[in-house]
Amino acid sequence: MSVYAFYIFDRHTECIYSKHWTNQQPTNGAIPAAALTSAAATRKANQAADNAKLIFGTVFSLRRMVRQLGGQDDLFLAYRTGEYKLHYYETATQLKLVMLTDTRVGNLRTVLHQIWATLYVEYVVKSPLSPIEHPKGVGVANELFEGGLESFIVG
Amino acid sequence: MQGSDVKVVFALLIINKAGGLIYNRTFAPGLQKLDSNDYLILAGTFHGIHAISRSINPAPASPPPLPGHRKTPTTGIESVESSHFRMTCFQTSTGVKFLLFTSPEQPNTDTVVRRCYEIYGDYVIKNPFYSMEMPIRVEKFDRALGGYLVRP
Repeated sequence: MSVYAFYIFDRHTECIYSKHWTNQQPTNGAIPAAALTSAAATRKANQAADNAKLIFGTVFSLRRMVRQLGGQDDLFLAYRTGEYKLHYYETATQLKLVMLTDTRVGNLRTVLHQIWATLYVEYVVKSPLSPIEHPKGVGVANELFEGGLESFIVG
Repeated sequence: MQGSDVKVVFALLIINKAGGLIYNRTFAPGLQKLDSNDYLILAGTFHGIHAISRSINPAPASPPPLPGHRKTPTTGIESVESSHFRMTCFQTSTGVKFLLFTSPEQPNTDTVVRRCYEIYGDYVIKNPFYSMEMPIRVEKFDRALGGYLVRP
């Protein structure tokens, strides 16, 4: 099993945390990362932000579609394409956790619940330095949460 | 909910390549009743999501194809799982999408949806009175689908 990416969206539809695990080589290996101009870096950051928005939009529409068809108590769990699988978990406070993995993975709802309960609640919600809301992701990506997530995913 | 412990096919939707709903039929109760306008909106929304799901592919790029071989096209959403149902989507090479709504326990949904495509090919596409991309009103198609998907 390989995990590609992990996102957290808050109830204001904002992406407050995202992390990528890629083992792919840069396609144009000739250019070292240090040689990236600031323009290229900005473009890359914009691309990542756009990607997060696309993922949120997809999840939001599918969740609405599932509720419409299955009733108010139906929960959207996952979708799969030929290349990847997207897993979804929503807490009672409308915090949305999204994980992208390869297609050979079963149900990850319990895993996402565990990330929320043992990492997010412990290290972000209970952190005295963290604000209640996280505009632009302030206070989410602290050292303990990052380290915990890394060891949880990579093992 | 009725049907959550039985293997059952709830509904079949066919979406044309422009995102319009051209066929919509319910085979067993289990999904919420929607009016035809909601089904049209749903089909259009899904058409959009399907296109987006192809562009957010996070998987590492596959090696370039051998000379003389075509690059395998990226597929969009193939199945959506929820706690009450599973939706299997099959897109034909001409862009028509077949959405099959089943209970989560139903096995071999991709075989079922491919068989629906065969029935569509036999009774809709081969019908000289059917105009492409238009809603499907073919009695034989209805009967063949009913014979295949409705439980006696």
